[in-house]
Amino acid sequence: MDIAPNADLEKFREEVAEFLDTAPTPEIREAGRKTTSVFGPFDQVMAWHRILHARGWSAPDWPVEHGGTGWSVEQRYVFAEEYQKRGLPPLLPNGLRMIGPLLMELGTPEQQARHLPGILSGEDYWTQGYSEPGAGSDLASLSTMAVPDGDDYVLNGSKIWTTYAHHANRMFLLVRTSREGRKQRGITFLLLDRMDLPGLEVRPIIGLDGAPEQCEVFFTDVRVPQANRVGAENDGWSVAKQLLKHERGGSAHSPMLRRRLEVARAVAAETPSGFGGSLADDPAFQRDLGELEAELASYEHFEKLAISGHPIAKDPAYPSLNKVMSSELTQRISVLMTRVVGLDGLADQREALHVGSEVEPLGGDLALVAMPYYLNSRATTIYAGTNEVQRDLVARTLRS
Amino acid sequence: MDFTFTEEQVLLRDTVTRSLERDYSFEARQAIARSERGWSPEVWARLVELGLTALPFPEAVGGLNGSIVDVVAVAEVFGAHLLVEPWVASVVLAGGVLAAVEDQDTLARIASGEAIGALAHEEGRGTPDPALITTTAERSGDGYALTGEKRVVLHGASADVLVVTARLDAGPAVFLVDPSAPAATGFTTVDGRRAAHLRFDATPATLLAADAEQLLREALDRALVVLAAEAVGATGELLRRTAEYASTREQFGVPIGTFQTVAHRLADMKIAYVKARSTLLYTTALTEAGRLGPQDVAVLKAQVGRLGRLVGEYAIQTHGGVGMTDELPIGHLHKRILAVDAMFGPADHHLRRLGAGLAWAPATTG
Ligand SMILES: Cc1cc2nc3c(=O)[nH]c(=O)nc-3n(C[C@H](O)[C@H](O)[C@H](O)COP(=O)(O)OP(=O)(O)OC[C@H]3O[C@@H](n4cnc5c(N)ncnc54)[C@H](O)[C@@H]3O)c2cc1C
Repeated sequence: MDIAPNADLEKFREEVAEFLDTAPTPEIREAGRKTTSVFGPFDQVMAWHRILHARGWSAPDWPVEHGGTGWSVEQRYVFAEEYQKRGLPPLLPNGLRMIGPLLMELGTPEQQARHLPGILSGEDYWTQGYSEPGAGSDLASLSTMAVPDGDDYVLNGSKIWTTYAHHANRMFLLVRTSREGRKQRGITFLLLDRMDLPGLEVRPIIGLDGAPEQCEVFFTDVRVPQANRVGAENDGWSVAKQLLKHERGGSAHSPMLRRRLEVARAVAAETPSGFGGSLADDPAFQRDLGELEAELASYEHFEKLAISGHPIAKDPAYPSLNKVMSSELTQRISVLMTRVVGLDGLADQREALHVGSEVEPLGGDLALVAMPYYLNSRATTIYAGTNEVQRDLVARTLRS
Repeated sequence: MDFTFTEEQVLLRDTVTRSLERDYSFEARQAIARSERGWSPEVWARLVELGLTALPFPEAVGGLNGSIVDVVAVAEVFGAHLLVEPWVASVVLAGGVLAAVEDQDTLARIASGEAIGALAHEEGRGTPDPALITTTAERSGDGYALTGEKRVVLHGASADVLVVTARLDAGPAVFLVDPSAPAATGFTTVDGRRAAHLRFDATPATLLAADAEQLLREALDRALVVLAAEAVGATGELLRRTAEYASTREQFGVPIGTFQTVAHRLADMKIAYVKARSTLLYTTALTEAGRLGPQDVAVLKAQVGRLGRLVGEYAIQTHGGVGMTDELPIGHLHKRILAVDAMFGPADHHLRRLGAGLAWAPATTG
């Protein structure tokens, strides 16, 4: 990554800024203000995805031959910065950053041709069906069965914590095709090209913030063509491991965290501290904010090195390091947000959080999102492999 | 002094626990919290029957003359069961101030449970210091008129008795206001209670006590001890439930509690709980002995907020995905602790006061 001032890059920044200032509808901006986790309000986020696609900018990280932008690393970072400065809702990760890149690596030409365009355009939304009630950290013990029958598999079992399954029209999932040998050996990776299959039932789960985000998915004799398998039968574990690299690595996260911190700082300047000045003038608050600024800066530096191809990103521990750093920083920033809004954060505003809601928010934008964002952030150290498991993985790379 | 509960106190706790275990399962509590009113008159009647609305008050108003230890003993149980009935708002907060100003008639209605009281004191930053009140009172005819805003007043939109603090001349004073008089914006809190922001615009008020700074501080300090007891009760329940979960939830063929990192986290939760509870019990005894100082309240409020938050966050992490759902008490217990922390000064506020050696915040200018 080139860090010297660069006139071309500044011109690019202006071009991006102009588009991001004009293209999003008021509903999309509202969705950005009402985003309280990685997963923003579904309809508006997907509408925004399609607008970005029309401009050719829905997948900056993808290779050009699959619809990527061909931007340099610097340009991609500038795009992420300008995007986040405006508080626009992030595009959903499952298609663009998980199954899409996986299919580019391991999908058949038919699977690529069939699925990549819908992922790129935002026509399709994919949900991830890995976890089961009995198989969380110990994912390899999953037991949803797929039994070959003619050209199909017949699925029975259930998945849980399947984020946005109630919105999805596609699903990628892990199923058990053999009980022989090591449990990792009998797993197969499948694609469902629709969610309205006979025998498939989705039930949303209400989260701590009062909103349905995760789901349970039940399979009763659901038929899936064997042609929808990625990789070989019983080799789904290595496919999943490949995909987890995308899930835990991913693109630049720090501009979003920076935005959250900047907003908190701005609101603190207008908030009385209870000690006769503003919270932003409170030395105790300043020190804590300063610590987060420093932590965020180091994470930003780490991210910039990694996206520039520094060997740091080739470290076998890299995906786990990234996951632990970004999730724990997210949680700390979320705590600071609730500290800034104080007592006002106690109002449960789940109704005002719907895009287009008639319910007036109490207090400002930060008061609206701080508490649900804090609550949802608790999950960042749980999903995509808990931080305990990630630390184990890091430690394993250190043992000689 | 051994700081244990007396036989009567243990009996009272057992009675309350049994009653709640019977009528107040988590599912029943959730249904009550989601109901239109947000609390249950039947449960309230049961609390009245058990003498819990009358507990802290003098016999002259129909009270039971209970001590702060009695009240703390019960509040811990309420915290563990996530009680949403307006006991804190009415008996602890409004009742506490009414007792301090010796408004016997109103207090009698609170003690009998026939009236629900609310205390409108905080103005937005979670700063309990009466010296920082900005709501003003002016003489108006025979009475007074209040102007200002009170935020997150528990049961502020539905109370029968509304006690309001306001600045009269130079000092804080206590008033009684017709509960329907202020403009109320009602809402539910994250911990499932009803609350309101109240706006007073030359709202008529009856003076209960002028020059009430000291009196208010003492009443609020006592109330904070009881609130802290609720949070400690919730903290203990988080520990109990999480230890149980870690013993039964299996991954990789063994209970997750056998993984050292999980085991150590449980140990840290226990350490945090024991610290918070020690401070609660000791501070309660100080209160009982009439020796409660502002530093003690700051220590208690800070520790209960910090340590409770830690236990709640660890509880969620140890539960994994299921800890993130509305369907388990875990998240609700955690949210109760967060709410107690945010009210009357969060941990950060009290820590800063302690570090600065200040009993209370300096008064703001203007
Ligand atoms: C908001 C959210 C969104 C999610 N989205 C999806 C999704 O879209 N698709 C999907 O498939 N899944 C999803 N998940 C599920 C997620 O991947 C699992 O929750 C996660 O893998 C943990 O599994 P678990 O919940 O069963 O917890 P458990 O595995 O039961 O873990 C409980 C606790 O034990 C600890 N533990 C377990 N094993 C060990 C060990 N060996 N050493 C040390 N500690 C250990 C864990 O770290 C944790 O603290 C989501 C979860 C959440 C919370």
